[in-house]
Amino acid sequence: MSKAPHRLTSNFFGIVIFTMVLSSCSSMNVTEETLYDRNVQTVQASVAEEATLDYETKAIFTNATVLFDFDSFNLSSKSIQTLKGAVTAMKANQAIKITISGHADERGTREYNLALGQRRAESVKDYFALNGVAGSRVSVKSYGEERPLAFGTDEMSHAKNRRAEIN
Amino acid sequence: MKKLLFLLLIPNFIYAELVLEITKGTENPYSLAVINFDGPQKISKKINSIIKSDMKRTGEFIIRDSSQLISVPRNEEEIKYKDFKLLGIDFIVLGSLITESKFNLSVSYDIYDVRKEKKIRTSKVFGIPNKIRQLSHYISDGIYEEITGLQGVASTKLLYVTEERNTDKSLFQLVIADADGANEQILLRSNEPIISPSWSPDSKKVAYVSFETGMAKVFIQDLASGKREIALKNSTQVSSPSWSPNGKFLSLTLYQDGNAEIYILNLKNKNLTRLTNHYSIDTESSWSPNGSRIMFTSGRSGSPQLYEIDLRRSNSKPKRITFEGNYNAKASYLANGDGAIFVHRSNKKFQIALKYFDENFVRSLTESRLDESPSISPNGNVIIYATTEDELGLLAGVTLSGARFKLPAKKGEVREPSWSGFLR
Repeated sequence: MSKAPHRLTSNFFGIVIFTMVLSSCSSMNVTEETLYDRNVQTVQASVAEEATLDYETKAIFTNATVLFDFDSFNLSSKSIQTLKGAVTAMKANQAIKITISGHADERGTREYNLALGQRRAESVKDYFALNGVAGSRVSVKSYGEERPLAFGTDEMSHAKNRRAEIN
Repeated sequence: MKKLLFLLLIPNFIYAELVLEITKGTENPYSLAVINFDGPQKISKKINSIIKSDMKRTGEFIIRDSSQLISVPRNEEEIKYKDFKLLGIDFIVLGSLITESKFNLSVSYDIYDVRKEKKIRTSKVFGIPNKIRQLSHYISDGIYEEITGLQGVASTKLLYVTEERNTDKSLFQLVIADADGANEQILLRSNEPIISPSWSPDSKKVAYVSFETGMAKVFIQDLASGKREIALKNSTQVSSPSWSPNGKFLSLTLYQDGNAEIYILNLKNKNLTRLTNHYSIDTESSWSPNGSRIMFTSGRSGSPQLYEIDLRRSNSKPKRITFEGNYNAKASYLANGDGAIFVHRSNKKFQIALKYFDENFVRSLTESRLDESPSISPNGNVIIYATTEDELGLLAGVTLSGARFKLPAKKGEVREPSWSGFLR
């Protein structure tokens, strides 16, 4: 039951422990240690405000959201119908630049969902590229499961959250 | 594209504070008598109650206090071992407070083995009056070590993320707290999500993913100074940081090819080494305790599964580790490297599971609907994870001996726990 008698450690909290065994009483541990606990600093994040689109562009792209199946980043035929309109608008107005954000539902791990959201956004970007929209006009990012639209735990809510948003 | 930076104004300090609930203990716990420590009643009561809660949380102890005893000794001479044997008590803790000055508060305590009828440990902790919780955790760890032979984790810290959802925007906080959820200190406040926090091996720094710049980026923050930096400055998103055991490298997930791939960043010279190269998702990397292997989640088989790369061999092919079910993700190695804990889907539920590498099956450790982000205590004995109850996120723990506890937040949600190393 008695453990390694000699130990000397030191770390960030500046704590030093001495453990020694009294020679007169070989089965008893005698320890002395000093407590020290340093405080930590709080940091405030400066959040970058999202770039706002001009009025005209916004009007075209509002509600340009496409949905996906669980653990999938394939575009459905319904999604393609939605994207056709966006492609037409992109071609009509060469000045428009867009950001595609991919999202996932709450199931599964946060990092895998972040990667999945990215793949969903990339699927949309690929569709734009295939239809002649230059990659330089499209930027892509993911929020994973961190920005749900619906907060329920049922499939209806999950389905709304598995999405890519264009704006 | 004009980007405006603005500082957030938060009216006052909001503390979520966790509340500890022990829900299940082990089948054959040690019985420990903790006698009220000698000294000023108010302080001694507080110390005793923290020690009791620490010992109970391990799941390996049941605690008897002075009111439940046949005789209450004030010192070694007054111990009637027979009275303790009658109650099935295995060990006795006696202690006293020593106030040497306004800035010193020390505690000496002794542990007695009832069966052997003798003192087995005498210890002294030098502390300060405004760190009574820490002082008590030190005593708990001393008791735990003496009786179980395993280093205690009462004096370690937890790192986690809280979210308070408001009508227009949410408040996310990166928080550090004692292992029992008390003594919360906020490292970062933001109106954008924070995920994947992890401690550097020396527990001086933390790495995490913050969305504050508009996309996921990995930050490294020094705890004491609050100084922080973006780990890798590039134009695309970066996530899933994991420290190498020697603290010199950070494995990361980069998205520069439009797909999640794992890289190793040398923190000193910022050199990047690519680790994975596959058209499917590769992320959630984690280092083996000796730093020779990296486990990660990959979608290459068609569903998320765990794979391992041997870093000692160049161009080593990833070896598949899990074959059970269609979702195994976010692994961390056990302390001895002979197995891993991870998120496993079974019967449509996401559970924390354990797999030993020499076994071909998975052991489910939890049974809620949506458990995630498992993190192992530095002594390898406790797993803390995020779970949901009544649609609210909270932390829960399970020990390898089968005990369970919960750490819900008083307000809002809490998730993404990460356990520090030993701090004593």
